[in-house]
Amino acid sequence: MNTNVKSGSLVKWAVTALAVILLPLVLPNSYFIRVLDLVGIYILLSTGSNILTGFAGQLSMGQAAFYGVGAYTTGLIGMYLGWGFWQTLPCAIGVACIFGLVLAIPALRLKGGYLTLLTIGFGEIFRLVMNNWVSFTRGPSGITGIRTVSIFGFELATKTQWYYFIFAIAALGLLYQRILMQSRVGRAFIAIREDDQVAELTGIDITRYKIMAFITSAVYSAVAGVLYAHLTGYISPDSFTANESNFILWAAIIGGLGTYLGPVVGGFVMVVFPEALRALGSLRLVIFGVILMLVIIYYPKGMVPFFQQLGNRMGDRFHKGARKPRKEGGE
Amino acid sequence: MILKIEDLVSSYGVIRALKGVSLEVKEGELVSLLGANGAGKSTLLKSIIGMVKINSGHIRYEGKEITGLPASRIINNGISIVPEGRKIFADMSVADNLELGSFSRKPDKALDKQILETVYEFFPRLYERRNQMGGLLSGGEQQMLAIGRAMMSNPRLLLMDEPSMGLAPLVVEEVFAVIRKLKATGVTILLVEQNASMALEVSDRAYVLSTGNIVDQDTSENMKKKNSLVEAYLGGGNKED
Repeated sequence: MNTNVKSGSLVKWAVTALAVILLPLVLPNSYFIRVLDLVGIYILLSTGSNILTGFAGQLSMGQAAFYGVGAYTTGLIGMYLGWGFWQTLPCAIGVACIFGLVLAIPALRLKGGYLTLLTIGFGEIFRLVMNNWVSFTRGPSGITGIRTVSIFGFELATKTQWYYFIFAIAALGLLYQRILMQSRVGRAFIAIREDDQVAELTGIDITRYKIMAFITSAVYSAVAGVLYAHLTGYISPDSFTANESNFILWAAIIGGLGTYLGPVVGGFVMVVFPEALRALGSLRLVIFGVILMLVIIYYPKGMVPFFQQLGNRMGDRFHKGARKPRKEGGE
Repeated sequence: MILKIEDLVSSYGVIRALKGVSLEVKEGELVSLLGANGAGKSTLLKSIIGMVKINSGHIRYEGKEITGLPASRIINNGISIVPEGRKIFADMSVADNLELGSFSRKPDKALDKQILETVYEFFPRLYERRNQMGGLLSGGEQQMLAIGRAMMSNPRLLLMDEPSMGLAPLVVEEVFAVIRKLKATGVTILLVEQNASMALEVSDRAYVLSTGNIVDQDTSENMKKKNSLVEAYLGGGNKED
């Protein structure tokens, strides 16, 4: 893992930040910005998936449940207590921790396909409870009238304001992912992903770190859910289906599991592509499915590793002779 | 007494693998645990590090009861294991494998560096191949890596599970040379081996385990002379030398 942050990469970050800030100003109308808002939410969702599945190696296909936990905590607290974002956010994080733990405990004993089945079941149970507990959650008709976010009395009204807000949080999420993965915890996650038996023999408390991975991932998804609920003002169980879980996992896979920027690329692809293909009418999901399959067949490690390879190759061609062979990995 | 085991009974499901084993290892000693396949040698090591269900008995490490603690707690206490079958992280570089070895102790950059230097001094091949994936190493090199990784945790008690298994004779010699060197650094070693003659060459004392019971214990010198016994339990071994 390369950790050297040089002035070159600082420039890269500054350019990226500038692009993110300027992007909404060049887009023709608020429909595009609305799509970008969802991209931001998807970046958070797939970061959660990336930490749990990409780094810690625990394949989860029930992420929509955590997403729903965030959204429903927000919706229910708003409905019953009338609280706003600054109260719903910590509550949702707390509830997500509990749900993360609830899934982690049975998950500790399972691996591979069995773990995946468990997570699918978890996601479906959550959706079914939200759907059928009509007296508490209003069931399939969902919760309406969720207030927007107000920051020091300033209410987020336009899609553009929301865009900046969501992307700021997504950026924090990505930053925290990086910090976490470069810490001891991150090393433990990777060791467990590589071989949990060896990890245990090395003295890594795999129980503790697996639970941490589930909870961290749950919190990311729940924060996305809180944002989604406040953004759209309306939630129903239909937004948190198994299909949603698949999309979240796909975003992490397409971007590149276990890469820092995979969730960004994956979030973009999974939200923007289906929108961009709308012109194709009912064929769009077929075409989108084919595109995803082609990506995964040709670039099974996802797009970020592919871009990196491409970048390296172009770099080598550019600097032929000018640069010494690349130094071998860091200490 | 760094390790004291009393009347240990352990089982895999319904199968009773250890039927009341008592064993002691003193500070700085190298003790070998011999026995045929299925005698319970590996089970004993796994019991010490908390990876097998213990039915009864006591395991004390430096006077503290560690019976039934989870593996991570035991390994954090200064016990380290070189597992059977050279279990390493195949898709991680040699350097990363070694780095993870230090995970179980408190973060200490200076100590990490110091031990890493010792490991590379012990195993120059690992230094040469530090950026290669662990899985690409030869069997012998993987064994060296497993030993190096265990060294990284700076253990006071090192458990070694069949370090010579599946290795070419020349490599086995190398592994035992390393075990000698390790002993010279002062670390206490409990060595499980099928290769009794080699194990007795390096160890101070030896226990013989047979179907879950300790059937003999003596100094390695004396044990070597007890040919009949060794043959009875180990099916002969290579006794030419």
